[in-house]
Amino acid sequence: MPRLPRPLRAKPARWTHVALAGLMLVACRDVQQQSATAGPNDIGGTMVVAQPGEPATLLPALQGQIIERQITDLLYDRLAEIGEDLNTVGDKGFRKQLADRWEWAADSLSIVFHLNPRARWHDGQPVRASDVRYSVALMKDPALGSPGLPLIGNIDSVAVRDSLTAVAYFKRHTPEQFYDLVYQVSIVPQHILGNTPAGQMKTAEITRRGIGSGRFRLARFEPGKRLELVADTANYRGRPKLDRIVYVPTPDFNTAVTRFFAGDADFFEQLRPEHLAKIATDTARRAVPYTTLGYAYLALNNVDAKQPGLPHPIFGDRAVRRALTMAVDRRAMLRNVFGTYGAPAYGPFPRSLPAADTTLPQLPYDTTRARALLDSAGWLVGPDGVRAKDGRRLEFGITTPVSSAARKQYSVLLQDAFKQIGAVARIDEVDMAGFMARNGDRSFDTILELYATDPSVSGFKQSWTTSGIGKDGSNFGSYSNPAVDALLDSATLTFEPARTRVYARRAFETIIEDAPGIWLYEPPSVAGLHKRIRTTPMRADGYWSGMADWWIPAAERTARDRIGLRPTP
Amino acid sequence: MRRYVAGRLLQATIVVLLVTTVTFILVHLAPGDPIAVALDRPSVTEEVRQRYRAEFGLDRPVAEQYLRWVGNALRGELGFSFSFRRPVADVIADALPRTLLLVGLALALSFALGIVVAVLQSERPGGARDRWLGRVLLVLYSVPDFWLALVVLIVFAYRLPIFPPSGIVDPVLHDYMSPAERLVDRLRHLVLPVATLTLLATAAISRHQRSALLEVMPSDWMRTAIAKGLSRRRAVRRHALRNALLPSITLAGLYLPALVSGALLVEKVFSWPGMGLLAANAIASRDYPLITAAVLVTSVAVALGALLADLASAAADPRIRVG
Repeated sequence: MPRLPRPLRAKPARWTHVALAGLMLVACRDVQQQSATAGPNDIGGTMVVAQPGEPATLLPALQGQIIERQITDLLYDRLAEIGEDLNTVGDKGFRKQLADRWEWAADSLSIVFHLNPRARWHDGQPVRASDVRYSVALMKDPALGSPGLPLIGNIDSVAVRDSLTAVAYFKRHTPEQFYDLVYQVSIVPQHILGNTPAGQMKTAEITRRGIGSGRFRLARFEPGKRLELVADTANYRGRPKLDRIVYVPTPDFNTAVTRFFAGDADFFEQLRPEHLAKIATDTARRAVPYTTLGYAYLALNNVDAKQPGLPHPIFGDRAVRRALTMAVDRRAMLRNVFGTYGAPAYGPFPRSLPAADTTLPQLPYDTTRARALLDSAGWLVGPDGVRAKDGRRLEFGITTPVSSAARKQYSVLLQDAFKQIGAVARIDEVDMAGFMARNGDRSFDTILELYATDPSVSGFKQSWTTSGIGKDGSNFGSYSNPAVDALLDSATLTFEPARTRVYARRAFETIIEDAPGIWLYEPPSVAGLHKRIRTTPMRADGYWSGMADWWIPAAERTARDRIGLRPTP
Repeated sequence: MRRYVAGRLLQATIVVLLVTTVTFILVHLAPGDPIAVALDRPSVTEEVRQRYRAEFGLDRPVAEQYLRWVGNALRGELGFSFSFRRPVADVIADALPRTLLLVGLALALSFALGIVVAVLQSERPGGARDRWLGRVLLVLYSVPDFWLALVVLIVFAYRLPIFPPSGIVDPVLHDYMSPAERLVDRLRHLVLPVATLTLLATAAISRHQRSALLEVMPSDWMRTAIAKGLSRRRAVRRHALRNALLPSITLAGLYLPALVSGALLVEKVFSWPGMGLLAANAIASRDYPLITAAVLVTSVAVALGALLADLASAAADPRIRVG
């Protein structure tokens, strides 16, 4: 009796996760054994972070890359901080930062923020409501060209009631209006930046000074060498537990890993499977798994790249997309690429989002059904073993970035899987700039995406609704289904998180059935960390969010921890 | 002589102009653009990107952009780096001294070592020492630079953590060290990249030098020197070497551009923030002004290096005439 292929049904924790779960347990046990909280003497120490690059700007409103956010999130505060559950509806779970408290107007079209009177900029000046007004106005100024501008379209303006009271006005009452303001807008000092016209900010040196109100302040930024943050000891939210964080740019991956294992760096954010065995036996370092908001998939272009407006001759057909999805044994690929610590993607979402649902039914791995589907769609096997329809061979390209080892491996495995059902896939490796150009132009047949969404459900609208088609959106495959549009609209317009999840689930279910992409994996994120450093829970939208509370026990300090905060000679 | 130098400088100017023109066109033809790379957040709209392109003149025809770049370059303005958000001149001013130190040291050591090895080989051509040194040099000559750099890194920074794996100085402790400790720290960080570059260049230099020495060995004056009672070793060192230095002088001229262009892959492996790493990152991020400026600096160095090599050869050997 022939062995039936195993369908990919959603079972959230299979043995493929056991290793990662084990790693997490060991990591948690390690931390528990070490001690749970910092004592009064556990203030101080230095953490060196090996970074693949360095920021080009330290002005939050101008940041266009994640590496910039990693730094500015520590330098600047927001009015409030999103909670661990990443809820974006209303203000539930948000914790106070610059705002001590806030009050909603009866019509919910304005929110009054009362600033903490003890909040100071790193130069000692007090944080004022006028800074809040300036920060929003600056970000909304078209002359600045803020990458975050489209995200705050619902904010009308901010008025200053008194020096410590700012009133934010919104155009419409929406479930995420609070999130839009407090998550997307970092508060910057008007007295530092106010004299520089918004149009000149992109080239102004002042945007690299990084004067904020966060618990770390910028000590020095020497491009190519290091960026050093030191504790703001008089911070209104309390000084950070670490004395300093030093970021050293290390663009080569192997060098960064060597730097970490050689003790030159204390933290490296992205270990690969091959390093886990070594770190498991390392007495000085440990692995720290964390979640992210990323997921990887093979985007199938629904429109013809050569004739925009027309459906793609292959992927415009839903049956073909479903057949190709069924041809892929995603679990086997996951094991092949990531060993036992990969995590499968269950749909167009990362599992760490509140709206995620890992129990959604999946298209099964079933090559027999895949072949039958292609047969019925008119793609018949030719004498050379390759399917064809109306004289066109079932042949297409897979665009993948040359810099991603995992995606390169996946492209080879996918190529082989497609070959089994009579499709020819050409692998097209391009550098990251070329990859982004193809993404932007939608000039690909299929492309291996690694997409990092934001905590908001509205992020899915950008990626999977008709409004996200075109250069302004992230709907790279130009997928369009009015039902999905309506469901995601409803998900973003409801004020009840439970209903948001219901709408989102139905939208995801429809998307999975339509197969505009083949869901492959969630990037397994395991950081390497020196054992003397203790961490706090890492939020999925940014593992660095709690770095100010990471700490080093006094008894475990090394030479670099003992420098203290004495000024540089 | 003056006329010759003036002519060569004119030629060099034309070469530099051609090289930068071709580079400018090629980088603009490559897929992708600096704004798309710098603003890669999903939330960034095309309108925002277009605004950036307009502000930096990237929406203009390539010919217009080029003419504007040439005009600015003639005034000493090399433009604004998109990836660093700093003037290109400042970015290069930071990176250039680091490369001069690294490559300069490596070249000085390479020539010293290469010539010594060649002399040792030439004293008994075909002998055991010549054969073994030849094999080692051939291996070093054949290995790719990034491979050797990675091996050196893994062995001496990872398996045997003797030297720091990357960077210029200790990122934390350097500023708190005594002057002597700082010097040691700087030297320790230089060891691995310099050793890699030195080994690679030594192989090439010594092979050329050995050939040149073997060419002059059968000369009458060498036979005379040995006949007068000089040992073969002293004859090689005192007479043959001076007459066989021309290839090394030519090689020095050819290597000179590396002083400013940097060693791209070696700098990348050791995270040495010099011109090579700068160029690699500029290419990856399609930083047009920075790429073109790096090529400009390098092509000027190539032209000057060739000219200096010619002049040095003429000075070293009166039989060579220039002009």
